[in-house]
Amino acid sequence: MTLRALLADDEKLARRLLAEYLRPHADICVVAEADNGLDAARAITELKPDLVFLDIQMPKLTGLEVLELTGRRDGVIFTTAYDQHAMRAFELHAVDYLLKPFAQARFDTALERARRLLGQAAPELERLVAPGPRLTRVLVKDGDGMQVLLVDDIAYIEAQADNVAFHANGREHLKTQRISELEAQLDPARFVRVHRSFIINLAALQGLERTDSDAYIARMKNGKRIPVSRSGYERLRTSV
Amino acid sequence: MHPLLTHWRGLAVYLLAWALAGPALAALLHALGLAPLSWALPWTVPLCGVFAFVALATYYPCRSRPVGAANWPASLGYRAGLIATLATVMLGLAAGWDMAGSLFGHPQGWVGLNHRGIALLAAALLGLLTLSVLAHDLLIAFQTSQAATAREAQARLLARDMELELLRLQIDPHFLFNSLNSISALTHLDPAAARAMAIDLAQFFRQTLDLAGRERIRLEDELGLVSHYLAIEKQRLGDKLATAVDAPPETLAALLPPLTLQPLVENALKHGLRPRDDGGLLSIQALVRDGWLHLAVRNPVPETPSNETGLGLGLRNLRERLCAHYAGRARVHWGAKPEGFAVEISIPFETTP
Repeated sequence: MTLRALLADDEKLARRLLAEYLRPHADICVVAEADNGLDAARAITELKPDLVFLDIQMPKLTGLEVLELTGRRDGVIFTTAYDQHAMRAFELHAVDYLLKPFAQARFDTALERARRLLGQAAPELERLVAPGPRLTRVLVKDGDGMQVLLVDDIAYIEAQADNVAFHANGREHLKTQRISELEAQLDPARFVRVHRSFIINLAALQGLERTDSDAYIARMKNGKRIPVSRSGYERLRTSV
Repeated sequence: MHPLLTHWRGLAVYLLAWALAGPALAALLHALGLAPLSWALPWTVPLCGVFAFVALATYYPCRSRPVGAANWPASLGYRAGLIATLATVMLGLAAGWDMAGSLFGHPQGWVGLNHRGIALLAAALLGLLTLSVLAHDLLIAFQTSQAATAREAQARLLARDMELELLRLQIDPHFLFNSLNSISALTHLDPAAARAMAIDLAQFFRQTLDLAGRERIRLEDELGLVSHYLAIEKQRLGDKLATAVDAPPETLAALLPPLTLQPLVENALKHGLRPRDDGGLLSIQALVRDGWLHLAVRNPVPETPSNETGLGLGLRNLRERLCAHYAGRARVHWGAKPEGFAVEISIPFETTP
């Protein structure tokens, strides 16, 4: 069986070195290279490589942020030149990592270990990148690419079939996720599930309107009107 | 030396006071009907003159045995002995000089001191000497505390200098290890380039260590350091990094504090070119005009600027450093321009060390 690998490092020479060290391992083929964190996150989401060689210090997103946003936990081999913060975290959680520059033998050891644990969610990685109790940003599709949204920028979230649509800065961004799962990750003091299909950001709420049929409608600052269910209205009343 | 001796105005006031005290004392003796003015004056004036210097002289023994928390009984005893001795000597002098009046046709002496007079004089002398010792001890305590404050300020200044020195010597480990990794990659791909990069890296660190100890260096040397740094970064970043250095020959001899441009170039790469997908052009410009050396570092910035703080702090530090060096005659400006970010420095154009 051939293993598919992603090489993520902002320096071309570092990626070429990884490719060179992989050459003796005939069963591994490189399917993608990424020179920044966002491209790495996209490649992980779209290509689902078996092995990910992940540099810590990269433009746009760090290696740890890539894992946090993609939820990727297995088959990851970290590389870093010198990042005291990350190195302390690795030591703390017994996560294996390669210190640049590293030798072929050291590389082979790390690869062997990753191969052995393939397909198993690594508990030490889970502890390392477990996002805080509250979501602060989300990784969303953006045309062909990917984009990171700050939850502060989100006005409201709407469930659409298998996706959720984030409405932020006047645009709509899709992500494959269930709205109830998302609701659990957001800060309940700032985001309220007002309807089966809607979560609103209280900071973007303008006011509530009462309809003839004794129901409520949330009027957002951008003019959008969102239906509020009976239980949603109760939740809204306790939050505001 | 007594502080009053270097303070001629204070000394003059002090001596004038004692010069007036002589006739005043004579007038008092005359008013009390103890001695005629013309007899009292030759006795009081020279004695006041001598006492003026004796009172000042207590400064030296006081300074040699300062009062401390630990030895206060001993130093208090020392002061009591000092006052008693000086009072006795002065009393003897006064009595002797009074008797010497007989040589000048006053068989009773100038003022004819009796037992009551001697007792009164002794009390006055003891009081004045105690006052003098107290005043000097206060003065010494004040001087000591001032000296301590000055020493503290000096120590702080030295510590700051040391800190700056250390900062300059500090090697960016991220840069070092990434460069070594690039060399490791090149050994197989392009051995000649690997060797060139190792040499650039060595030169860069050698020159950084060398420059850090100097107060000012030639722009040519600073640009040499920058060029080694850029050679390494070009190898690491590939075609993402383009550079343009414009430094006409007349600027090369200009003097500037070491590591003025280098941190700006590092910043330009870290916050400007490296996070950009397609990199860009880093330009360094030097210009001499009207007795000023103008330096500029320009670079494009990413569309979404990095949220790393510390850039403004580094630039403010540079501004403070240059202002301190040129006593306020240095200008550092930075800001976003249509073509990206620019830092501009103006310092007096000087070429002789």
